Amino acid sequence: MSHMTSIIRKEVRELLTPGSVISVLVMVVLFAGLGGLIGGEVDSAAELPQFGLIVEEGEYTDGWDPAQILYDAYGEENASKIVIMDSTCGSSDSEIISEMQEKGLVSAIALPDKESFSESMASQTQISVKQYYLYQPTGLFGSVGSTIMSSVVSILSSSLSQLLVAGESGDVNYQFIMNPVGTAGDDINTIVDGAMHSGITPYDISNEVTSQTLMIPIVIMIIIMMVGSIVISSMGSEKENKTLETLLTMPIKRTSIVSGKIVAAAIVGLVYGLAYMLGMSIYMGAMTGTISGSTSVSLEDLGMALDAADWALVMVSMFLSIVCALGICMILGAFAKNYKSAQTMTMPLSILAMIPMFIVMFTGWYGAGGAIQAITFAIPFSHPMMAMPALMYGDVTLVLGGIAYMAVFALVSILITVRLYNSDILITGIGQNKYVQKLTGRK
Amino acid sequence: MEALVLNDVRKSYGNREAVHGISLTVHEGEIFGLIGHNGAGKTTTLRMISTLLRITSGSISVYGHDVATEPDEVRKIISYLPEDAGAYKDLTGRAYLEFMASFFASGAEKEAMVQKGIELADLGDRIDSKVDTYSKGMMRRLLIARAIMPSPRLAILDEVTSGLDVINSYEIREIIRNIASTGVTVVMSSHNMFEVDMLCDRVGMIDQGNLILLGTPAELKAEYGVDTLEEVFVKAVRG
Repeated sequence: MSHMTSIIRKEVRELLTPGSVISVLVMVVLFAGLGGLIGGEVDSAAELPQFGLIVEEGEYTDGWDPAQILYDAYGEENASKIVIMDSTCGSSDSEIISEMQEKGLVSAIALPDKESFSESMASQTQISVKQYYLYQPTGLFGSVGSTIMSSVVSILSSSLSQLLVAGESGDVNYQFIMNPVGTAGDDINTIVDGAMHSGITPYDISNEVTSQTLMIPIVIMIIIMMVGSIVISSMGSEKENKTLETLLTMPIKRTSIVSGKIVAAAIVGLVYGLAYMLGMSIYMGAMTGTISGSTSVSLEDLGMALDAADWALVMVSMFLSIVCALGICMILGAFAKNYKSAQTMTMPLSILAMIPMFIVMFTGWYGAGGAIQAITFAIPFSHPMMAMPALMYGDVTLVLGGIAYMAVFALVSILITVRLYNSDILITGIGQNKYVQKLTGRK
Repeated sequence: MEALVLNDVRKSYGNREAVHGISLTVHEGEIFGLIGHNGAGKTTTLRMISTLLRITSGSISVYGHDVATEPDEVRKIISYLPEDAGAYKDLTGRAYLEFMASFFASGAEKEAMVQKGIELADLGDRIDSKVDTYSKGMMRRLLIARAIMPSPRLAILDEVTSGLDVINSYEIREIIRNIASTGVTVVMSSHNMFEVDMLCDRVGMIDQGNLILLGTPAELKAEYGVDTLEEVFVKAVRG
């Protein structure tokens, strides 16, 4: 065996520890699970949503029956997605919205009555179809449904266009013929928190919310991983240098040592966090400003802008999540033998930070199922990731609930850490524990 | 009052008993040496005295304070220096002493304590250099100074001259002699039998968790009919 082969074998043996192999396997499972989650989300977003149709029965003009055209376009398998509403073409907006709420519909389109239709046809002016949406906070793809409603209008328009082109002669208004049915900006009505807003779709709102909150999960994940790594490494270093042994024989309460370490690291983490958020908001602002020119949606007009109290809650949530991360790190760090072994201890924390980041980014809290919501809530780092969108949607309960949960989590983790600091594990490591000895058969 | 009393002290790690019922007494102002080969149980015993490890059974009292039930009181009067200990590398020697002194005193009293530490460390201008630039000898002098500056009643020093050169070892032994002369009780472990012979008033030898010898160096040498403590050690271990 050559010298280089000996070195390679030794290095591989050192690098491929059971801990590192398990970490890689966990990451594979995690990404596979997230792939399934995102795939499911994309599929459900692409699926034709159930929508309400307000239309007069029968043909509006020779051979043009809007309800029948939509049934034909979507096929028999999707026929149940088209719900003919009780509201009539003359019903008021509030009547239509009430019926949508009653029937659990999040979108509906209303065609004009036959008389108005005939008038528009005669004057060759575009026939306006009204769109109604009940805004629901969802994940990255959840608002795609509102764009599908626009395609419903396009189907009606192209079918009427074909009819008009086939039968037309003489003076022709080509603009009308090419696009006879459409929705004027003011005929799009989206209901947000009970109030109707014209000219915007849920897609527009979702885009604006996402552009303002997308960076938060990434920033939180980076901070958690960074601060966690600092604390665990510091614990490993303290053990290696035996400065921790010295500190533990000083006349200081264990709670003071643990709390002091956690609070100091949390303050540093918060400073890092604010710096990252500032940097990323400038970056995101530059990106959206340059590429899309920012959306026309004003969250302030929708009552979704955050005020000072909301920002304070976001900061508290972020601070507590850092404290929770540090609590976990102090527990993990207690088992680290030295600086090197401390490095591998950060993996569980990284995984815990990545899970909510992907969930919050792709499905969102409101778009997730019960089991995923339970997992997301249980991971303390989820809460600052969800806080901003939740406060935009006025869901203060979720944010306060998260803060209360994190406070309890932080307290429990500090108590566990203090208990570990009072035990032998900090000095002897986990290998000397009787339960571990039983489990591994070691003495 | 006795400085340190160990009464049938046992320590188990899981199913393995590392210390098997050690009993001994250390008198006030004494320099007591704990000797034994690697893994004999010296460090475990010192860690139990220092409140770092819990006692499985038996009892330890330091100046009348029970280590198990009054650890906070014990920590106020002891100073422990682990084997191969380091200091916070980003701090200067002075900042390290100030940090450690802050746990014992404040204001002028703290200043006086730090000044005492600086004098004990005797590092000259290097006291304001970062700790990670120190040699092993300088580091050990700083740590000894840290351990002594709060004027503990009991100093527990684990392998304090291990790995040091002749001059540094000599200087540290001088420091230990000086602090003992002021009434501080010292319990130290060492593999250097020459050092133990020169420094210690009494010696206890631990072998496989048992205290197998206890007495003054002169008594032990006489008992085995040899000239050095090293020979006592070898004969005691080999039977």
